[in-house]
Amino acid sequence: MVEAVQVQLKKGVLELCVLALLSRGDAYGYDIASRLAKGIGMGEGTIYPLMRRMQTDGLVDTYLVESTSGPPRKYYKLTNRGRESFAAQQSEWTAFSNAVNDILGNVE
Amino acid sequence: MTRQAFLDRLRAGLRGLPSPTIVEIITDYDTHFSEGVAAGRSEAEIAAALGDPDRVIRELRAEAGLKRWEEQRNPSAAANAVLAVLGLGAIDILVLLPIVLSIAGTLVGFLVASFVLLGVGALMFAAGPFFIIGAPVAAIVLTGLALISAGTCFGCLTSAATIGFVNAVVWYGRLHIRLLKPALEPPHLDQKEIVA
Repeated sequence: MVEAVQVQLKKGVLELCVLALLSRGDAYGYDIASRLAKGIGMGEGTIYPLMRRMQTDGLVDTYLVESTSGPPRKYYKLTNRGRESFAAQQSEWTAFSNAVNDILGNVE
Repeated sequence: MTRQAFLDRLRAGLRGLPSPTIVEIITDYDTHFSEGVAAGRSEAEIAAALGDPDRVIRELRAEAGLKRWEEQRNPSAAANAVLAVLGLGAIDILVLLPIVLSIAGTLVGFLVASFVLLGVGALMFAAGPFFIIGAPVAAIVLTGLALISAGTCFGCLTSAATIGFVNAVVWYGRLHIRLLKPALEPPHLDQKEIVA
């Protein structure tokens, strides 16, 4: 149960992290997976379903770039809607985590 | 697990989805392996880091099911979306299952009732004047028409309710995918609750 809650929580945060990463520049799947999944402790495989979902929601767009080392890379970039969503979610997250930190601080 | 084994498992698990979708997904993971190998990792390491293929499959199927329901509102897409959300296997969905099933059952009952109304109305409209003796023909035909329109009206309401119901299930599924939103109540509210 605790594990299930953690998985759900991480999934929610993962989208915010992908938005943040892409707001600093376009990136391809492997790059996003290896930079984010490890930090948050999620399987790298969950990045791809998330990217498909974000594309369906119109938050990201894709384009192909030829690679010298292998198959072409599918790059993801933020759409205008993605940027708006990032701004909104970022401020929500900051307010939320500040509130939680305050409470944790009071308890200690 | 080798690259081939992982991709085979994925392909088997995605069977039934539109083939362009499957090709896209397989290409994503195949490219992931190529990138990983180029970065000096072994296939087994990459597969382990990708995580349990069955979980990846469940998420991909759920996403594909929800997407299809958003694109085309038909009974098979609806059934697909509901099944896909159930397939995510969230614990609280098991709790909700009796409620979901009883609502679905009621809707099916309503649908059957509206078809029966339609059938009886049509029969009365077409054949009533020949079999029912002693009542004015106009009254019988009009009663038939009234039953037909009542059946149609009832059927439309049931369809609208069904669409609303599937939307609610889909919304619930999305909630599971993104837990962040509901967790973000106004902060002062959270504090008050905890203090109380």
